[in-house]
Amino acid sequence: MKRIGEQFDGWIYAVFALVTLCVFFACVCLGSVPIPLRDTVQVVHDAVRGVPSGAALSLARSVVVPIRLPRVLCVALVGASLSLAGAAMQGLLKNPLADGSTLGVSSGASLGAVLAIAFGITFPRLPFAGTMVMAILFALLSLLIILSLSYRLDGSLSTSTIILIGVIFSMFASSVMSIVITFASDRLRSITFWTMGSLQGSSYRNAAILAATLAVSGTVLLLHARELNAFAIGDDNARQIGVNVRRVRLTVLVMVSCLVGVCVSIGGTIGFVGLVTPHMVRLVVGPNHKRLLPASLFSGAVFLMLADLAARTLFSPRELPLGVVTSMVGAAMFVAIYYRSRWR
Amino acid sequence: MKKLKKTGALLIAALMLLALSSCGKGADTTVTLTDMMGHEVTLDKPAERIVALSAADCEIVYALGAGDLLVGRGEWCDYPAEVFDVPSVESGGNTNVEQILLLKPDVLVMSSMAQTEEQVKQLEDAGVAVVVSDAKDIAGVYTSIELLGKLLGKDAEAAKIISDMKEGFAGIEANKLDGTKSVYFEVSPLEWGLWTAGKNTFMDEIATMMGLENCFGDLDGWAEISEEQVLARNPDYIVTITMYFGEGPTPVEEILSRPGWENVTAVRNQAILNLQNNELSRPAPRLADGAKMLYDFVIENAQALTPAA
Repeated sequence: MKRIGEQFDGWIYAVFALVTLCVFFACVCLGSVPIPLRDTVQVVHDAVRGVPSGAALSLARSVVVPIRLPRVLCVALVGASLSLAGAAMQGLLKNPLADGSTLGVSSGASLGAVLAIAFGITFPRLPFAGTMVMAILFALLSLLIILSLSYRLDGSLSTSTIILIGVIFSMFASSVMSIVITFASDRLRSITFWTMGSLQGSSYRNAAILAATLAVSGTVLLLHARELNAFAIGDDNARQIGVNVRRVRLTVLVMVSCLVGVCVSIGGTIGFVGLVTPHMVRLVVGPNHKRLLPASLFSGAVFLMLADLAARTLFSPRELPLGVVTSMVGAAMFVAIYYRSRWR
Repeated sequence: MKKLKKTGALLIAALMLLALSSCGKGADTTVTLTDMMGHEVTLDKPAERIVALSAADCEIVYALGAGDLLVGRGEWCDYPAEVFDVPSVESGGNTNVEQILLLKPDVLVMSSMAQTEEQVKQLEDAGVAVVVSDAKDIAGVYTSIELLGKLLGKDAEAAKIISDMKEGFAGIEANKLDGTKSVYFEVSPLEWGLWTAGKNTFMDEIATMMGLENCFGDLDGWAEISEEQVLARNPDYIVTITMYFGEGPTPVEEILSRPGWENVTAVRNQAILNLQNNELSRPAPRLADGAKMLYDFVIENAQALTPAA
């Protein structure tokens, strides 16, 4: 049953990890405020050892250690999470256009977070847990709604049906958001800004939350690579080779919702990451999920770090919203993929 | 049929005569003005029912002492508190002609950004004069006040407000700072992405007037900026216009607690001013108050620091 390509797994992992590390390093060194490479290395080294840097390095230290480093970390983790979630959904639904943003899962998660802000849903001593839990719950809820509606319309879950339902659901979610915003007068300002999302001001705590989520959900998804391969051929095929279809499908959906929900509650909606990277990766490593999933994880991180670098530096000192950059690349990709899948 | 036409013509002639005569009688009360888009507007008499869509124009109406003539306001108007008793209508891109006509105003005051030609025509066909008030700088605010004063028959009040504002600004300008200190205006907090005010904003104009350098004066208008840039530009003062809703840290505490900002001069000296009520962002008479608050704040801080230095 083993394919020849699988033997190269370790080697492929190493290459992807190395590229990711290099890009991470570059993104920490480059930014809106130019800081010499030597100083960057020096202040990070000092910070790790816990000693203060010299007076000449005080700007470099306060730019790199508390601002740039956590931001690049968060961006990398969000990119990896969204990309992995996208790849898993595409496999599960046998649908090349499935992604948090096209299916309306991100809008659903935003709606959950906005409701949490509007109604002041919080957990004592955990200030951000309210929005996060609501975002995850609503991400899962929207996935279930979208999928059950699509099943009812056509059992085979064809690409166009599921995308249509996703778009309609997105519109529905944003109109509900508008209603909430209209009635939540005094919190209005913060909600309006919230829906735009931003990874500015990312902290190490955000990075830790993202890393923990990715560690749990990511491991579970990676362990389901074999089942996803079976789903990619067909649900019946999966059932025949002994996959518990119901259980696996639910597990994957819950994990995807956790990833999307946490990303949305920290960075807002960043579209198309889960769509673009798995497709580019598929061209390189092929459709086998055992390689596709880890490769998507690394490439998602690389893609979003580069997009964020562009957002930070292209028009410095101005900054572009990250979602604008990814949507620009993503929309072009979406059209290309859709046409290709139509003409085949 | 012929008869009907004849009667109609007679009726129109009679009506015109009537109109002419009434015009003649009230000639001394006629108001003619040119609004800020260059349209000429003529009214038989000063407006008695006015709808103002922008928050700034509502403030001006109240400052003129004509709040009782305001029969409708844009949904975002929030100052003074009495304005909340006035019926609210949608404004901006959602401007709704029917809502406005229902209030039976003589005049609608709006900014140029919000209006479309069709809407203006519908309103004018219904007998509502449309006046554009759209100040882009302090001189423009004077024009707005003058315009509304004329419109409401409050010329003297308008002149008084303008001279008070000019006096306030002149007082600051006479003792202006030496231009060595810099200020960073924070329009949107870090959580939502930092936005600041560059040149061609009221904040920049007022900072320049009092001899403060705007850190981001090289940008035009409102701009989203990188957090790193604030650190590199190291402002001496920070003005944040973030609102506080009574939970969590205040905007000033939040800025003081930002990791990496501890070496910014303004943060080290705790020289952060929170202006929550649009004093520096709205083209209204309170701009002069906002300028005074900023100036006093800067002077107080400078004095507090002198002994230590």
